[in-house]
Amino acid sequence: MKDIQHLLRVAVIFAAAFAGFLVVRTLLVPKSFGKAGHYRADAVDEFAQLPRRYAGEHACGKCHAQQASDKAKSSHRSISCESCHGALLAHVENPKSDTRPRRPKEAEMRAFCGHCHARSLSKPGRFPQIKLSEHNPDAPCNMCHQPHQPK
Amino acid sequence: MDLAYIETLREALHKVSGYIYPNDLELQWSVLIVLYPYITGLVAGAFVLASLERVFDVKVLKPTYRLSLLVALAFLLVAPLPLNVHLGHPERGIEIFLTPHTSSAMAMFGFVYLWYLMVVLLMEVWLDYRREIVEWSRSETFWPKRVFYKVLTLGVDNISPRSLEIDDKLGRILTVVGLPSALLLHGYVGFIFGSIKANPWWSTPLMPVIFIFSAMASGIAGVMLIYMFMCWVRKVRIDMPCLDTIGKFLLTAIIVAFSLEMLEMLQTVYEAEEHFDIISLLVEGKLFVSMILVQIVMGSLTPIALLGVLQLAELREKTRKFICALSGVLALIGILAMRWNVVIGGQFFSKSLRGFTTYKMEFAGREGLLSAIILGLLPLAILAVLLYLLPPWPKEDQAKAS
Repeated sequence: MKDIQHLLRVAVIFAAAFAGFLVVRTLLVPKSFGKAGHYRADAVDEFAQLPRRYAGEHACGKCHAQQASDKAKSSHRSISCESCHGALLAHVENPKSDTRPRRPKEAEMRAFCGHCHARSLSKPGRFPQIKLSEHNPDAPCNMCHQPHQPK
Repeated sequence: MDLAYIETLREALHKVSGYIYPNDLELQWSVLIVLYPYITGLVAGAFVLASLERVFDVKVLKPTYRLSLLVALAFLLVAPLPLNVHLGHPERGIEIFLTPHTSSAMAMFGFVYLWYLMVVLLMEVWLDYRREIVEWSRSETFWPKRVFYKVLTLGVDNISPRSLEIDDKLGRILTVVGLPSALLLHGYVGFIFGSIKANPWWSTPLMPVIFIFSAMASGIAGVMLIYMFMCWVRKVRIDMPCLDTIGKFLLTAIIVAFSLEMLEMLQTVYEAEEHFDIISLLVEGKLFVSMILVQIVMGSLTPIALLGVLQLAELREKTRKFICALSGVLALIGILAMRWNVVIGGQFFSKSLRGFTTYKMEFAGREGLLSAIILGLLPLAILAVLLYLLPPWPKEDQAKAS
C-alpha cells in the first residue's frame, strides 16, 4: 500500500478534477439543453414570447380590399404587403392610433426597388431589371410604375 | 448596380481564373489550419519515437526517450491554439467539452485530446521523472524550483525499488495505450479532411493513414534535430548509434508516407474521374512549386536518397551527422509543404471544378504569417522551460556538461 500511495493521490486528483468538471458542467449548461435536440429547448419558448410585430398577408385585405385585389392579380402577388410597408401589427390592432404612412421614402425608392430590379447577370433574362444609373436616373420609381399593378 | 460594388468585384476578378462560384472566392481555412495538423503531427511522431524505446525495446534510442516525451508535451500544449486563434472567441472553447455533439468528429476530438494530454502524456512524464522529482525536491537550492518539485511529488517521497518498479510497469502500460491514442489523435486530423465528400482533393479514406505516417516522419525528424541541437548547446557528444537508428526510422517513415501519397495520386490519375482535369491543372499550376518541388523532390526524394546512402555506405561520423541534420530539415519542410498543399490546395479550386481562386496571406493580422510564426515557435519556448525544469539528460551527461 505504501508503494502505491503516490498513485492513489493521482487517482484522487483525477477523481476531484472529474467531479469538478461535472459541477462546472451542471452550473454552466442551461437546464433545458438537450430536451428537444442539441440546443437549449427554452430558447423556442422565449422566442415565442417575443412581442409580435407582423400581422401577416391576410390582415391587410380586410380594410384595403382594392389594393389587395390589384396586387393579387399582378406579378407582385407573391410579395407580402409588409415586405414593402413594414411590420404593421400595431396598425391592424389599432388602426386609428397607428396611422403613419408606411412606404419607402421617395429618396430611397430607387435603391429599395433596386433590391430586386437592379440589373444583374445572375438573374434570369426575362426578369424585369434595369440599369439604375441609366433608367430615368432622377425619377422615383412610382412616378411611372404602380407597385400594386406593376408594368 | 452600385458602382462601388462593381469596383470591388472587378478587384476580386484579378484573384480568380476560370469560372468560380462567388462563395469560393475567399479561402476560409488559412495558414493557421496548415499549422494545426503540422503541430499535432509532430506530437504523434515524437510519441511514436518515445514508444519505440519503451514498448518495442529499441534500447539504443534511450538518449532521446525523455526528450521525445517532452517534445510531444510541448507541442501538444500548443496544438489547439491555431484553431482557437482561427475561430476567435477562445472563451467558447470549453463548450466543446460541456455540450459535446457525439456525431461531430471535432467535438469528440476534444476528449481524445484531453485523454492524450492528461492520462497519457502528463502521467507518463510524471511517472518517468518521479524518482528525479523526489531527489530534486530535496537537493534543489533555488527555492521556487524546489517548491515546484515538492508540489509535483504530491507529498509522497517514497522512491523504494518496489514503488519505482510499479511506476515503470504502469508507464509501460500507458505507452501501450498511448500509442493508439497518438495515432487516433493524428488520424482524426486526417479524417476531418478525408471525410469532406464535396472536395475531391481531400475526400479519400487514405487521408488519415497518410497523415499518420507523415506525422511520424515529422516527429522523428523534429526530435532528432532538437537532440542534435541540444548536444551542440550542451557541448556533449552525439550518441552516434542512437542518431543512426533514428535516421533509419526516419527513412522508413518517409518511405511509407511518400509511397502512400504517391499511391493516392496514382489512383486519382488512373481513375481520372470528373474532377481530374481541375486536379491536374492544380498540381501542374498553383501547387507546382509547393508540391512537386518542395514536397516531393526536396522533402521526400532527397531525404530518402540521403538517408539511403547512409544505410549503404560507410561514412565518417561528421558526414553522417550532416546527412541526418540535412534530411531532418528537408523532411520537416517537405511535410509542412504537404500540409499546405492539402489545406490551401484543396481550397484553390472552385466546387464548379472549372476555376481557381488565390490565397494572399496577410502578414500581421490574426490569421497572418506573424501569428503562424509565433504559434510555430511557441512549442519551442515551452520546450525550453520543460528542459529547464525537467532535464531529460542522463546524470553522467549532466555532470560532463556542467
